[in-house]
Amino acid sequence: MKMLNCDVAVIGGGPAGLAAAAKARQLGAENVLILERDIRSGGILRQCVHDGFGLVRFGKRMSGGQYAQHFLDEVNELGIRQLLNTMVLEITKDRVIYACNETDGMLRITCGAIILAMGCRERTRQQVFIMGTRPAGILTAGAVQRYINIEGYLPGKKAVILGSGDIGLIMARRMTLEGMEVEGVYELMPTLGGLRRNKVQCLDEFGIPLHLSTTVTQVYGEQRLEGLTVQQVDENRNPIPGTERYIECDLLVLAVGLIPENELSIAAGIEMDPTTRGPVVDESMMTSIPGIFACGNVAAVFDLVDYVSETGETAARGAVRFLQGEICADEPYVQIEKGENVGVMIPQRFHPSCIGDEGLSVYLRVTKPLEKCVLLAKDGDREVYRKRHDIALPPEMLRADIKKDAAPAALKLEVNG
Amino acid sequence: MIETFKQLLAKNEQLNKYDIGITIDEDRVATLTGEVDTWQQVVDIGHIAGGIKEIYSVVNNITVKGLEIPVPDYTKEIETARKIGVIHETDVLVIGAGVSGCSVARTMSKHSLRVAVVDMHDDVSMGASKANSGAIHPGHMAKAGTLKAKLNVKGNAMFTQLHEELGFDMKRRGGYGIGYDEEDKKVLEYIVKTAKLNGVPGCDFFPVDELLKLEPNIKGRPIIATHNTTMGTVEPYEVVIALANSAALNGVKFILGAQVYGIEILGDRDFTVITRKGLIRTKYIVNAAGVHADDVAEMVDDKFFTIHARRGTIPIFDKRIPYPYSTGIGTVSKTRNVESKGGGCGMTPEGNINSGPSATETPYKDDTATYKSDLDYAMRIAYSVVDYLKPSDVITYFTGVRAADYKEDFIIGMSKKVCGFVNVAAIQSPGFASSPAVAEMVEGIILDDCKAADIPVEDNPNYDPFLKPKANFRRLSHEEQDRLIQENPKYGHVICRCETITEGEILDVIHSPIVPTSVDAIKRRTRAGMGRCQGGFCQQKVVEILARELGKDWVEINLKDEGSNVLAAHNREEATTDEDA
Ligand SMILES: Cc1cc2nc3c(=O)[nH]c(=O)nc-3n(C[C@H](O)[C@H](O)[C@H](O)COP(=O)(O)OP(=O)(O)OC[C@H]3O[C@@H](n4cnc5c(N)ncnc54)[C@H](O)[C@@H]3O)c2cc1C
Ligand SMILES: Cc1cc2nc3c(=O)[nH]c(=O)nc-3n(C[C@H](O)[C@H](O)[C@H](O)COP(=O)(O)OP(=O)(O)OC[C@H]3O[C@@H](n4cnc5c(N)ncnc54)[C@H](O)[C@@H]3O)c2cc1C
Repeated sequence: MKMLNCDVAVIGGGPAGLAAAAKARQLGAENVLILERDIRSGGILRQCVHDGFGLVRFGKRMSGGQYAQHFLDEVNELGIRQLLNTMVLEITKDRVIYACNETDGMLRITCGAIILAMGCRERTRQQVFIMGTRPAGILTAGAVQRYINIEGYLPGKKAVILGSGDIGLIMARRMTLEGMEVEGVYELMPTLGGLRRNKVQCLDEFGIPLHLSTTVTQVYGEQRLEGLTVQQVDENRNPIPGTERYIECDLLVLAVGLIPENELSIAAGIEMDPTTRGPVVDESMMTSIPGIFACGNVAAVFDLVDYVSETGETAARGAVRFLQGEICADEPYVQIEKGENVGVMIPQRFHPSCIGDEGLSVYLRVTKPLEKCVLLAKDGDREVYRKRHDIALPPEMLRADIKKDAAPAALKLEVNG
Repeated sequence: MIETFKQLLAKNEQLNKYDIGITIDEDRVATLTGEVDTWQQVVDIGHIAGGIKEIYSVVNNITVKGLEIPVPDYTKEIETARKIGVIHETDVLVIGAGVSGCSVARTMSKHSLRVAVVDMHDDVSMGASKANSGAIHPGHMAKAGTLKAKLNVKGNAMFTQLHEELGFDMKRRGGYGIGYDEEDKKVLEYIVKTAKLNGVPGCDFFPVDELLKLEPNIKGRPIIATHNTTMGTVEPYEVVIALANSAALNGVKFILGAQVYGIEILGDRDFTVITRKGLIRTKYIVNAAGVHADDVAEMVDDKFFTIHARRGTIPIFDKRIPYPYSTGIGTVSKTRNVESKGGGCGMTPEGNINSGPSATETPYKDDTATYKSDLDYAMRIAYSVVDYLKPSDVITYFTGVRAADYKEDFIIGMSKKVCGFVNVAAIQSPGFASSPAVAEMVEGIILDDCKAADIPVEDNPNYDPFLKPKANFRRLSHEEQDRLIQENPKYGHVICRCETITEGEILDVIHSPIVPTSVDAIKRRTRAGMGRCQGGFCQQKVVEILARELGKDWVEINLKDEGSNVLAAHNREEATTDEDA
């Protein structure tokens, strides 16, 4: 077995991993290694040909590929080594990585610090309990995107999309542009799942209807999908009898949610947060195992790639501090409390005396749509952050940037509407 | 017999309003006619006739008012087949490549007779044999005195050797039955009594105190427990594929994608079988066509039984969820269906919890769609045994159809009317567990007949019962994995991330005797796509490998049978890599 050593190993070469690797190198980590199972780094962005990336970070609209290329160039300029076509199979508590590829065989990599950046996978047909037969022609949106944008194939002629998250909306436009018919987008919830701008640009401009509070309950066809039944749902998301409608189609595209891909983390014994489905992390994105950090979609599903890169850089800062022995390992954690209207939130805890010069960013989603609301971070009764939002929707993440000077000893986040 | 039937029907308040005709022929085969309101009533009346001891078998022609079950017309297909002409000649033709058919074929390959197997699907194990619980039942649940009971007990024991020869996964974890009240106790006492009558080894009462020490997660305080040591589990399709590969290596010819439309009887032991691929000439036919065994029997004009289909749904849970017991634990289900097992919640050899199956009578024999009511039933069983299971732990669910007759026993034997036509019909649960013994019985029937007809049969001198062991990358230590990759770098390319399946393993199975041509066929052989993301990640990679290895275009690659192409069309040679909107 081939043995390697490195200061910082980054698992996953998506936007989170690339940003983390570049930052770690810039901050002085000598030997940084990216492990990526695909033939090329870039992660999901490789298949995102649409624009809308980088608005927060670069103030301009870039395609997914362009956004990723920016970081890839940086990684290359910094001379960071990438092991491509390399699958990480195991990580251990004492920061050893086992990975394999065709040329090196099995690799045993001893690491100073590890940054997890494995991204997420998509929920499947079975996980949303669609009944009926098991024909070809039922694919997740990511798979459809890959077939169309990378491989150059069309997976069907007439599609129905389930799920109005960004991926569903983007794919509605993509398939239409490629000459496929998109019958409609169906959404279980009473509200849009993705960003509003995506609905305007991807559905409205193409005349594709959006059906809220409606879901796909049954599919038909022995070999290839022949059709499906959509049905409206009540406030408890149960299908309403009598509202069934049959739609003839040969493709069902599922954009029904992402799940952080944490098999490695779980197997290593890292503590998980059931709400984010990612590791519990602190102000530097460090997990419950010292020296192992998590960033990007493996930590929590982010809506914007800009935030994903940010968390990568935060993790890199933490990793370098860890290498230098500057992590506040002795100080007990303080849990960040979720107040009114706060759903998913990351990080989950922090060391009060460890907030660096860059401050502490807390990302969260509201539990319900709110108008004219205020995002507040409080230390007891003292406000340490306040921002007004005209509108806050569950699909769009909010960020609270708490300054180092605010020096909170405790934290509670709330959104008052 | 007619009188008994009429009396029983008259006593039944739900069914006595119907006018049901019954005739009984010289072989004591009852034929029922009439019209009722629901399919369940058709089945119930069939069971009343089947329950009469003197009746040998039941043909149930009762129909349901307003329900038309389409009868396919194959005139055109038969014409085409005739035009193609004879494509193969053999001594024994097995119709149906399920566990029954493949077991029979492999067993027959020990002899000098030429053996072939046809199936309508493009792969083996596409019927009930791929959609079941995979339990190798001990034989304690089968009614004493039935053929089912006898073959189950024997088949269970034979699985040990089969496992050694073919190398499929099998876990014999044994199992306990527990009861909490007097009613449960009666059931368990009856089961132990049945086990004794059936000659099941290692099945007896077990001290509750000791059991609670062994299985501390058992809920409450049972008053009675039984133990059986021979209960096992397999991944069923894996067994069938291994049987088929072994049979093929020993000279059996597999003709897949070849639905049988009709059979011509040219004389004793002389048939022409009309299939989608062309005509096949044979001396013997083994009818192992599962739910369609009665339809195939009708092709030789000897339909003396009716198969009624009983649908069963099984959910599979994520491997990550631990099973709380070290062995199978069965409770007495109060809503137990009399014939099919009441269902339970166990663990596959791979470590996935499964539960069910449900049991719903259906007029549609090929309907393997999943319905909410069936899945809900199986989920309730799961929750009752493992209370921490959640709906989000389900990674997949599927539905199989049991082929039951109205005597609720296996039908195995030479047709009384058609010499050379052997039925292996009504092989419902525990048909999987019984399969090695079923094959042995069929072997005996054919060899005896050969002897009677002076057909010389010798041993196949090249018969080799063993299959080369598979490389299982995921089960090796990292050192062993490294060595495997050094031998063949393709084992270093992980294709399925959830189950850790490598390209090397996929290439191994593509180059095995029964060539898998579809994405699902690869899945059943390697587990690629069987994990929690259900192929979301690896399907495209599998399509790519299949196309490359089989010399096909991506759009020609199917998910399952012909017509299930994963992709609809080429889009462009070079995909966009940049903005275009
Ligand atoms: C269809 C679609 C549209 C989107 N649209 C937008 C948009 O308009 N604007 C926007 O800001 N964001 C958008 N996003 C979101 C954005 O793509 C993601 O937030 C971002 O890609 C997440 O980055 P990541 O690095 O965390 O994960 P990923 O991009 O998923 O990268 C993870 C990487 O880790 C690798 N990996 C995983 N496990 C292993 C292992 N065991 N060994 C080796 N390597 C491994 C993977 O191969 C992958 O390259 C979109 C996403 C999708 C799917
Ligand atoms: C839900 C469920 C759970 C079960 N659980 C268990 C269990 O735990 N243990 C156990 O022992 N048993 C179990 N069983 C029963 C077991 O699965 C069956 O007894 C066994 O698989 C039957 O195998 P077979 O080969 O006879 O039939 P099948 O596997 O159905 O094979 C019949 C084959 O015939 C082919 N065929 C049919 N008609 C034609 C035609 N005209 N031309 C060409 N080919 C044709 C079909 O394509 C099919 O491949 C279960 C069954 C179900 C449905």
